[in-house]
Amino acid sequence: MSASATSPKRRPWLPWLIGLVGLGLIAWRMFYLHGVNETFNAAFFSGAVVRSLQLGSLYALIALGYTMVYGIIRLINFAHGEVFMVGAFAAYFLFTKTPYSWPVAVLVGAAVGYGVMQFLGFFRTEKRDPIVLAGALIAFAVVTFALASTQLGWFAAMVASMFITGVLGMTIDRVAYRPLRGAPRNSMLITAIAVSFFLQNFGILAFSNRQTPFRPQSFWTSMLQFNVFGEPLYTSWMIVLVPVVTAVLVVALTLFVTRTRLGKAMRATAQDAETAQMMGVNVDRVIATTFLLGSMLAAAAGVLWGMTFGSINQPAIFGILPGIKAFAAAVIGGIGSLPGAVVGGVLLGFLENFLTALFPRTAAFGGITEYKDTFAFLAMILILLIRPSGIVGEDLSEKV
Amino acid sequence: MKPPLDGAPPVPAPAAYVPHYTKRRTRNTLLTLGGLALTVLVLLLVDGGTSSKLKQVFALFAIWGIATVSLNLVNGVTGILSLGHHGFMLVGGYTTGLLILPAATRETLASSARSNLSDFSIGLSVENMLRGVGLDALTTPETLWARFLIALFIGGIMAALFGVIVGFPSLRLRGDYLAIVTFAFGEAIRLLASTPMMSSFTNGALGFAGVPSSFGKSVWWTFGLLAITIFVMARLKYSSYGRVLQGIREDEIASEAMGVNTSYHKVLAFAISAFFAGVAGGLWVSWVGTARLDLFLFFLTFYFLVAISVGGTGSITGVLLGTALVVWVRQYGDPLEQSYPLSTWVVAAGAVLVALAVIAYIIRRTRRLRPQLNPLVYVPALLGVGLALFGLYGSDLASLQTRWQGFGMRAITLSVVLIAIMILRPSGIMGRREFSWAWLFRERLDEPTEEEKRQDAWLSNPALAGKQEDADDDEEVKP
Repeated sequence: MSASATSPKRRPWLPWLIGLVGLGLIAWRMFYLHGVNETFNAAFFSGAVVRSLQLGSLYALIALGYTMVYGIIRLINFAHGEVFMVGAFAAYFLFTKTPYSWPVAVLVGAAVGYGVMQFLGFFRTEKRDPIVLAGALIAFAVVTFALASTQLGWFAAMVASMFITGVLGMTIDRVAYRPLRGAPRNSMLITAIAVSFFLQNFGILAFSNRQTPFRPQSFWTSMLQFNVFGEPLYTSWMIVLVPVVTAVLVVALTLFVTRTRLGKAMRATAQDAETAQMMGVNVDRVIATTFLLGSMLAAAAGVLWGMTFGSINQPAIFGILPGIKAFAAAVIGGIGSLPGAVVGGVLLGFLENFLTALFPRTAAFGGITEYKDTFAFLAMILILLIRPSGIVGEDLSEKV
Repeated sequence: MKPPLDGAPPVPAPAAYVPHYTKRRTRNTLLTLGGLALTVLVLLLVDGGTSSKLKQVFALFAIWGIATVSLNLVNGVTGILSLGHHGFMLVGGYTTGLLILPAATRETLASSARSNLSDFSIGLSVENMLRGVGLDALTTPETLWARFLIALFIGGIMAALFGVIVGFPSLRLRGDYLAIVTFAFGEAIRLLASTPMMSSFTNGALGFAGVPSSFGKSVWWTFGLLAITIFVMARLKYSSYGRVLQGIREDEIASEAMGVNTSYHKVLAFAISAFFAGVAGGLWVSWVGTARLDLFLFFLTFYFLVAISVGGTGSITGVLLGTALVVWVRQYGDPLEQSYPLSTWVVAAGAVLVALAVIAYIIRRTRRLRPQLNPLVYVPALLGVGLALFGLYGSDLASLQTRWQGFGMRAITLSVVLIAIMILRPSGIMGRREFSWAWLFRERLDEPTEEEKRQDAWLSNPALAGKQEDADDDEEVKP
């Protein structure tokens, strides 16, 4: 890789130029479309924008798991899409039973509270720390109340599913990936593919083998209508919920990575695992935490995905496309970098949804809706060929 | 040789170098001929036998064998993890299928309202091409075999073109990035094939039925093409090209420093591999009789990956062994996916647990781990025995009477086998070795010379035992 070794010339104005020209072109295209047909009005485009943001947030949540795992052990966790699938199905089986009777709700709440206590105690040195106890109590109260009430069933299901799926992620790491530490990267990748296949077919075996409706009782999935310049836009409250939950989770993750001891250990391991181990970092624990956090985010994305689209596909194919697209988002943003995953996810959401809205089906043109699944792949291949480190990523090119 | 000085005995001339493959040549040739004759005999029996399922299984083994041996060129010999093989097979399969479609089927497709095929692609057939050239002799029904061969060849060439396109990112990317890009290409080919742009050739999600299946299901055709593939791949592996590809696998930077044009060789490997994948795709479409998009999902590449990893990455014979396993599980594994009462499943789960415990025990024994019976061994064993007893004696319970169907059990089995192989024996059954008679009879080919025996004796001298490490340590060069 001698060509990439030469440092590129600094051109700070280039991104701004590309952005401005791009925005100009988009505005021009929008006005042109409005001139062609009255249905392409402000409501049409703002609907596309909010849907892009929604889809982009979901991609970002999944992409964070890919980028964290890649940053720490340089493994493309092929099974992450399937972890996302398991998260959605776990929540489905939880909320289809809501509202639970009070004793059941108290039991499940206690279990989740205990899990939260273990999880918080995982990176607090003092187990009886007030923060740990407070977190456990809050989790207990919230989950118990949510399970027993009707409206918040989806929320309890999401929290419980996050913990279940997080444990699944840690188990995958323990069973399949930890015995292979230090093995060639190709065999790790093949193992990840095998785990992914296992989970797909296990899902068919255990969950369902057909498309499943995913409609928890919730105010958020109800219809929302507002006017944009006098034109009505019909959508659901999910366009508010998804970006908000994503933002909360991303902020929590950032705080965890930057402000806690375990987060610091994670950053150290990502930088240089061997040295971190010599400095007393328990690398295996750090990797387990990474899988836990990534899988929790994927489970949240699974629940939100199901609520957004109203149904989840059968397990063998549900995880593949979102998973691989989120991986593409992580690569576009710069794999290994947390802000990169968010940027790449949102960008991919816009690429898929907004670009389709910019080239809609008209009398003269067939539209590009049928092609939108390939955008992620093409964008990823282009990014890898032009700038392999991604938009905000560091240079990861192989050295001798 | 120097003349002897002052009457000292003359230095004996070193024995001439005898290549190992010249030893026991007659026996090996006879054995090889016998093996080939045995294969032909088995094929004759299968072909003449009454079981059409057995015939299909043999044909499928040969078709997938072509695909795995070709994937092995990229994955095993060149060391590039390529995950887009199903895309190449799709290209070859659809091309072959469209080119060989019988005229009657074309007419029904042309008049059908649900068909997306354009008039151009309806007219696209080997038959019309040969008529255009004036070779009317090859357009009779008796010469369908010639047209099928031509269609297979064109399909292979089309796939090879795609292989060149996919090979180009390999010039800039390495390792898992490249693997993901090949995967993305493979998926993008399949997704593009269903779009309006390409459905004038592929007929979208419907595909087209009526591809003649007399070739894909014929043992002679498939095994003949498999033999050609193996011959080409084996010759390639031991040619100068093959050495270069193995050099790229071992250390790409070093081989570049030795003056090898790695870009050319990598793209070449992709193109050759894709050509044979296209041929395999054509046969696969012919085996099924239909060109459909769901024949070319990623599971195909996954099966090939299992075959390669289980058999031994880089070894052609190992890969064929793995293919046999995969095809066997796929074609004879349907008892796994049928509906049984829950008690049967409980007993089966117990048996699997006991088997796992036994395997764990054997591993602990061979690795001399102490204690030999640790919780990893006896907990699953006791749990398994308990489950089996529960399933056997509780089979009258109403809750264990409900029937339960094991969807996806075959794929689960294969993925568990793959994970286990990757953890316990990453090099697979054969490793990088190829089958040879000497290997089978465990003969030592490189009999040490007197000089080497003396050196061995010197090295195993216990007085020198402590200093051996220094002798091996050639990484640090001291001034």
